Amino acid sequence: LPSPKLLLRRRLQIPQFRKTPISPDDPRIFDFNAERELIIGEVVSRVFHGYAEAGVALDYILNETAHHEARRLESQKDEETGARLDGWQKILRKVSKMSEAERVEALRGIIERYTRDVAGNFDPRVYRFSKSIVPPFVGATMRPRSLTKMITEPGTAELTRVLRSDGDPNLARSLVQAGTVVFVPTHSSNLDSLAVGEQLVRENLPPAVYGAGKNLFSNPIVSFFMHNLGAYRVDRRIRAPLYKQVLKTYAAVMLERGYHMLFFPGGTRSRSNMIDSRLKLGLAGTAVEAYARSLIRGRPRRIFFVPITINYELVLEAETLVADFLKDQGKARYIIEDDEFSRLDRWYSFFTSLASHEGACVVRFGEALDPFGNPVDAAGRSLAPNGREIDPASYILQRGQPRLDPRRDAGYTRELGRRLAESYRRETVVMTTQLVAHVLFRRLVEVTPGQDLFARMRRRGEAGYSRAQMLEQIGATRDRLLRLVREGEVQVSSTLRTESPEQTLERAMQALKYHGRPVINLEDGQVTAEDPALLFYYQNRLVPWADRLAAPEQMAAAREIHAMEGSG
Amino acid sequence: MADGSTTQPRMKIGVVGAGFGRGLAAAAARTGNDVCVFTRRELAPVEGADGSPLTLSTTSNYDAVGGCDLVFLAVPSEYTQPVMRELGEYLDGRHLVVHVSRGLVGDELDTVCEVIKRETSVRRVGALAGPLASSVLVDGNPGGAIVGTDFPEVAEAVREAIGSERLRIYETDDRVGVEVGSALTGMLLFALGYAQGIGFGPSTVGVLASRGVSEVARIAELLGGRDETLSGLACLGDLVSAVAGDARPEMELGRSMAQGLSREDALAKVGTHVESTAVAKRICRYAERMNVELPITNAITRVLEGQLSSAEAVKQLMGRRVNRE
Repeated sequence: LPSPKLLLRRRLQIPQFRKTPISPDDPRIFDFNAERELIIGEVVSRVFHGYAEAGVALDYILNETAHHEARRLESQKDEETGARLDGWQKILRKVSKMSEAERVEALRGIIERYTRDVAGNFDPRVYRFSKSIVPPFVGATMRPRSLTKMITEPGTAELTRVLRSDGDPNLARSLVQAGTVVFVPTHSSNLDSLAVGEQLVRENLPPAVYGAGKNLFSNPIVSFFMHNLGAYRVDRRIRAPLYKQVLKTYAAVMLERGYHMLFFPGGTRSRSNMIDSRLKLGLAGTAVEAYARSLIRGRPRRIFFVPITINYELVLEAETLVADFLKDQGKARYIIEDDEFSRLDRWYSFFTSLASHEGACVVRFGEALDPFGNPVDAAGRSLAPNGREIDPASYILQRGQPRLDPRRDAGYTRELGRRLAESYRRETVVMTTQLVAHVLFRRLVEVTPGQDLFARMRRRGEAGYSRAQMLEQIGATRDRLLRLVREGEVQVSSTLRTESPEQTLERAMQALKYHGRPVINLEDGQVTAEDPALLFYYQNRLVPWADRLAAPEQMAAAREIHAMEGSG
Repeated sequence: MADGSTTQPRMKIGVVGAGFGRGLAAAAARTGNDVCVFTRRELAPVEGADGSPLTLSTTSNYDAVGGCDLVFLAVPSEYTQPVMRELGEYLDGRHLVVHVSRGLVGDELDTVCEVIKRETSVRRVGALAGPLASSVLVDGNPGGAIVGTDFPEVAEAVREAIGSERLRIYETDDRVGVEVGSALTGMLLFALGYAQGIGFGPSTVGVLASRGVSEVARIAELLGGRDETLSGLACLGDLVSAVAGDARPEMELGRSMAQGLSREDALAKVGTHVESTAVAKRICRYAERMNVELPITNAITRVLEGQLSSAEAVKQLMGRRVNRE
């Protein structure tokens, strides 16, 4: 019998006895299950022929893939090892003796298995159910006693208050009519996909297909919805280039077929909580190719990127993430499976801390871009800096002809990445905990000039201000921040904008109690930095502006903080 | 891996600016390309491939430049923004734009390619740099240069436009490294000229040159480039070429100031636009904000500002603690 853990990772689907009715107004993804086999077939064919056309020897691909997979399974030592390791070792032994026909069959088989593992499932019934039930359900984890009320009166959940929308979702709403939209949010927490998913529903935006790391499926609640709401599965443990090619091709085919998508360009969750800047744009790169192919076929379909920042007062997994960041380089884990996300008690504690905190998570929609980094208007037209309409097709013309060219497209994708990173900075919403953490961390840096980060992490309870000084610092730093907001460089949450320094300090201290260990201590009129690591983590959102948030006498410390930019 | 046909129509080349631009236009016209120079003055004919005089066609309308496939931008970096804002009206995604400016723009030290991308909808940009003297371009003497670009077709277009058996065009995807190297080599040349002017010998020049390249590499890294690019044509190659005798105004400026002339008088004596020394002060301010130490750039800035005498400059640089190279 399979273990309960394995059962959770299986695709739990609801049996379908009769066809679910789909109306023409339903989002594109409602057609997904009907097209699933076609999509898989197209991905398999495109990946296979891609290698054949590039003249890559099939035995080389088979060898490389089997070698990567055997090594992975040997170290994994789990159910999958027992089931699959022999097969890969057999390929390694036999590939040199295989005929060309056998190689073709073996490679196509592997590509198809990978594609089937990746391809998602969309159940409109689960979607409709989740639209009304997910928010109360997550809300219920905040106040379990009100669970009955939540189920009987959907829509009354606390989540409605905790989560807030910001920016311009109207633009995204227009663009889903004008072409295919790729939502690209910042990534701090595993709750991000829930927060964005919920926000798309609230803003009357269609669901988006997204690639979810296999580790997300460790939470049974999330796992069920992921399996049935179009998520495709990304197993980050598989390092074989063939698998990556399957993932990219799957994304390209989905885009070409007009499925709106969502992915996190930051890759994994930001360990340091610095704003995502080193973006992994492999999947974004498929957008240029998808657009070019549609143009060559004579049926151009425009693609738009909508940057989103997800801004939290508290991050559920902050302790694990920052601990991982502070480990020596090389020891940090790429995949974390045992963090707060997989523990329901931490979910409860997290939501309890935020229950009284309106707008503790702000999802902000930024200005949309075309795949070449140009802004687009509500009709989906690409705009030059002077507002003139430009034809995006011009970017894929070479001497007047539309061409596919992966090297050129990599250049466009780098540029798009730069523009997304700029957008993330501009659309970051600074939260109360972040500003208070910044004031205290800057103080810590000020009293430990020139020390390295690790030395500072040991200075618990050593730096601080009197309460009166702390309030003064919060007020002055917030005023400088508001100046930057007026200049359009960054955003600020409505609570931080309107509350007094006393309320700001109180709110931050209240929220940070979630961490179960003192982060900021207030005793005998003294405010001290108790947990430098968590203060570092929360203040890191402000690193790009550190020098402009400081008074002249704090400039040396501020510059040390500012210089950390890019290290996260 | 571009697909489609292999025969391509002949490229139309636009050149904006007729100083160094005239050399680029000459090289492009000599290889048989259709060239148009944006300038408001008349251009003297250049020598064609067969030795006969070759007249370069000129225009004073930006829309004519918009009709070109490849545009060389040969204006000082401080004019990039106004020129591109105006020219941008006629450009879109199909254009390739390559600049030869030796500067960084504004307090954030934007590269010229960044300015082009900010002011226009052009994305396929590149920087042409290295020891590319006018004599190489106009007279066809053997030489080489490097194109820094994210787009391979930009380098190919430059090769097609001006490359020949006598002019080797290399390429790198470290565009920022090339632009920083090109902008700051002049600053190092000023320092070398200054060192020569106060009587230092080849050993000092060697130390200053190599430590200078290493400092410029740090700046390039700070701005997103790769340090190894600076050991190539864009910085070291350019530097060696200038020291070997390619008369560069920055060295003359350094020598003149070492001999006691004020900056204004030295500039008047050189008699030409010296772009790259103006950037030193902005680099120092930027590095201070980023908490990075740049001793050579700092000394150059203070000398240029008249805050440091030659003796003090030597003391400041030579008195530093010696570290590993």
